[in-house]
Amino acid sequence: ADAAEETTVSAELVAQRKRAVDEWNAWRVRVGEEVEEVRRARGELVARIQEETEKEQEQDKEEIE
Amino acid sequence: MRPILLQGHERSLTQIKFNQEGDLLFSCSKDHIINVWFSHNGERLGTYNGHNGTVWTIDMDSKSFFLVSGSADNEMRLWSVQTGKCLFVWEFPTAVKRVAFSDDDKQVVCITEQRMGHQGAIRIFDINRDGDGTQQSLEPTSMFHPVGSKATVCAFPYMPGLILTGHESGKVALFDAQTGEEVLSNERAHMDVVTDLQLSPDRSYFITSSKDKTARIHDAKTLTVLKTFSTETPLNSAALAPNMPYVLLGGGQEAMSVTTTSLRQGKFEARFWHRVFEEEVGRVKGHFGPLNTIAVHPAGTAYASGGEDGFVRVHHFDESYFKTRPYGETEILN
Repeated sequence: ADAAEETTVSAELVAQRKRAVDEWNAWRVRVGEEVEEVRRARGELVARIQEETEKEQEQDKEEIE
Repeated sequence: MRPILLQGHERSLTQIKFNQEGDLLFSCSKDHIINVWFSHNGERLGTYNGHNGTVWTIDMDSKSFFLVSGSADNEMRLWSVQTGKCLFVWEFPTAVKRVAFSDDDKQVVCITEQRMGHQGAIRIFDINRDGDGTQQSLEPTSMFHPVGSKATVCAFPYMPGLILTGHESGKVALFDAQTGEEVLSNERAHMDVVTDLQLSPDRSYFITSSKDKTARIHDAKTLTVLKTFSTETPLNSAALAPNMPYVLLGGGQEAMSVTTTSLRQGKFEARFWHRVFEEEVGRVKGHFGPLNTIAVHPAGTAYASGGEDGFVRVHHFDESYFKTRPYGETEILN
């Protein structure tokens, strides 16, 4: 009976640990996507500012000429 | 694990950090000095001399180009990592307790202490990366005074425009970097002083340590506590081990309240906990006083601890550490 009980306990523990890992991994995937989105948005913003600055500089150059 | 003992400080360590590549380890101390070491053999590469008080805090940019430091001499300094030259000095009315770079290396956030009629302040500086680094603005791009409990630690999370803080009361909070408004807080993140805060590589979660004897993992955006690691000793530092499912905790009772036996034997331990199962998996003895600061190599191949005893101990993990799967073959995402 003791052995059976132990098996049940360890089976429960294994199941509990599996749930904990699944939960953690699911959360990491979800947050990873969010982080990616933020990075992409920031990258696009930086690219746009750079483009605008370059355009302005070109215009300045033309005016000087 | 082969420990390397770094002897180059005469007083207790306050913070240690690996650079992003992991080839260098930086350390600062109450002896007013900052040292840089080769992490693979513990050879000292250089020293950053100039502060006239305890150096409480350091951080490096992601390129290992600039080093920023904060000290009890009320100064924050910018250094060239390579030449060891001080490039710029900012002066404040009180001590600088914490500094941190943003992930794009363009900003630094710092905490100055509340003292003698001066409020504690959080300032954000733009770092001018053009030229040799000596042309910096004396004025912060923003500055605010958190009301209520003093801020003890700070960092830039992945969310733009926000500053993450830990406080003396145990609170963890998010502040608007421009307005200084407290956007979100978890008043009961800890029950006592937050002593350390280290971000995950993608800055989406972080681990804190506290005098309340626990370390916790929090979601950076929601400030939800995800994991708790409960020990029997006040904690000074907590670090995430990349690519392994562990966290490392360091602390210990102050030397005053410790029996002389443990002082003689170097019994102060770094503690390894499973980050998902919240169970302790191992301890590494060695220090002769409390562990003040812990850092893990960015590739997860080594860790270092800085002690109240003035020593830095670097441990490179053996093969067995990577092969050990105490909880089976399940993959745990970083």
